[in-house]
Amino acid sequence: MSNAHTIILMSMLSSGLMLGVIFSLVASGVTIIYGSIWMPNAANGQFFLLGALLTWTMTVQFGLPPAAGALLVIGLSVAFSYLLEILLIRRFYDVPNRNISYFVLSLGLTQISAGLLSITYGVWSDQFQVPPLVRGVTFIGPFPLANTRLAAFAIAIVLLALLFALLRFHKYGRALRAVFQNREAAALRGVDVRAVYRLSFVLGNGVVFAGGILFAYAYSFDLSAAWTMAITAFAIMIIGGPGSVLGALVVGLVFGFTQAIVSTFASPTIAAFSYLGAMLIILLFKPSGLFAR
Amino acid sequence: MSVRKNLIPLGVFVALAYGLPLALAGNRYLAFVCGMTLINVLLACGMNLLYGYTGLMPLMFAGIAGISAYVSVRLSEAGLSFWLAMPLGALAASSLGVLLGLPSLRLKGFYFTLCSLVIQSVITLGFIYFSGFTNGDTGIAQIPLPSLPGGISLAGPPYELMLATFASLGIALLIALVGSSFGQRLVAIREDDGLAEALGIDVTRQKLGAFFIGSLFAGLGGAVYAPYLGFVSPRSFDVLVSLNIWLMVAFGGRGTIWGPVVGAALLTPVPFLLQDYYTIKDVVYGLLIIGVIVALPSGLAGALKLSPRPGASKVAMRARPEKAS
Repeated sequence: MSNAHTIILMSMLSSGLMLGVIFSLVASGVTIIYGSIWMPNAANGQFFLLGALLTWTMTVQFGLPPAAGALLVIGLSVAFSYLLEILLIRRFYDVPNRNISYFVLSLGLTQISAGLLSITYGVWSDQFQVPPLVRGVTFIGPFPLANTRLAAFAIAIVLLALLFALLRFHKYGRALRAVFQNREAAALRGVDVRAVYRLSFVLGNGVVFAGGILFAYAYSFDLSAAWTMAITAFAIMIIGGPGSVLGALVVGLVFGFTQAIVSTFASPTIAAFSYLGAMLIILLFKPSGLFAR
Repeated sequence: MSVRKNLIPLGVFVALAYGLPLALAGNRYLAFVCGMTLINVLLACGMNLLYGYTGLMPLMFAGIAGISAYVSVRLSEAGLSFWLAMPLGALAASSLGVLLGLPSLRLKGFYFTLCSLVIQSVITLGFIYFSGFTNGDTGIAQIPLPSLPGGISLAGPPYELMLATFASLGIALLIALVGSSFGQRLVAIREDDGLAEALGIDVTRQKLGAFFIGSLFAGLGGAVYAPYLGFVSPRSFDVLVSLNIWLMVAFGGRGTIWGPVVGAALLTPVPFLLQDYYTIKDVVYGLLIIGVIVALPSGLAGALKLSPRPGASKVAMRARPEKAS
């Protein structure tokens, strides 16, 4: 195999993995929120973009060190989610068929956020690039890989592992899974359902924000990232099975590779077409998803 | 819901729809706002048939309008008279809409809405991707205004009078439909489609009928919109536009004839009023969406108790979210 082929293959592999873990992270956040409070959060793309843009503000506009900026954005996301939960989300906890109310609500949030971002960040810059987490380039064979991208990848893997461990072994994770499976039974067993709801909203959004922050360190981006991400995360959630974090992880990785391969040989539009098509097929034939719990 | 009860408000609407553009003819800008309002009234009536009376929330509504707009513009360019191109475009769009919607119609509630969002996204991507037909992101500019068979140009007030005719006919058609037994069956499906099925109503077929007629409203709206603005692009028919039309219906009061008309009349001028702060429009509409969901679930009509929805629903308590099918 010639050098050129190796480089193309390596670039597809690396960007497939990188995009895959970010897709997995964001979709996990979305699916945790849907699985617990039945909120299909269409605003996830906006939250993702907000995470990336706030990282840009912290590092480029305020000149903070990259790691400190990232932690500060996560802190902001927690405060933001709590505020949103108190103002809007908790009003619907006891409404029957609330998933459609939540869906429309999140579309409203999307419109507000898109409007606000386009008259602020949209005016300040076309393209956003944040300083690297780690400087330098590592060569794998002939293939150069930016260290900041490697670092973002490593952090994403660690976050996914932590998320799994939390859901599997921690007391909160067990309560969350109990609520996933049967809200009434969980309540009867002494689980504070509302507290679990609140925590999963904050946790899920935190994971989505983390995805945005890592995306900002790995790639330069523009405001259109929000809508693409919203559609992709929804497609992953529906295909993987709403509420299934394992499904989000597996399908997220598959989508990452699909995006990398299809974008290399055709165009990103074709990749988007294929996600939407896959989502339609699953919606029509197996709406509970591939990894239904 | 008697037909006769609506005759007086319909008369008032017709008088306003024809009178206002003529009264404002001296000010093209205000007359244009009137014209846009009339187009949105037509679209809101179609959305109301689906969302208000059948209980479906179709987020691909703008996409269907867009298909009709592109088809009718291209047909007129190919030399076909606008008066043929318009119904053909609307028919093509609603047929395609039914074809795309056919599989999703057996889905319920949130799953139908999600499915329609996916279809809307596919349509928008299609507008961008098939740039040979749609001219891609750039859009089609300088679409000529149609003229009457006698060679009389419809520029200016005459076009607004035509829009007034369409809007009035649209409302009249909606009143007739809602008063008919077909309309009653749709309301039965909205309230409880399981029960409707058990009573011997062919739910999918009724939904399909409603979908076809609702899409025709969208198609006509799209076809008259294109020459009026003289410009169409994928952005003119994206999901936010669908959402805005939905908002007009929900804000005015779903499942009432006049609520959505008032909603369209109140919301269409908003971006024009904002003028230089035009970009705030999205924020205003977004806040309104949240306001409607949180505080006005039955819209202005419900808040003012103008005309209660027929058989206002007592929502069944369900512990689990609805299943997809």
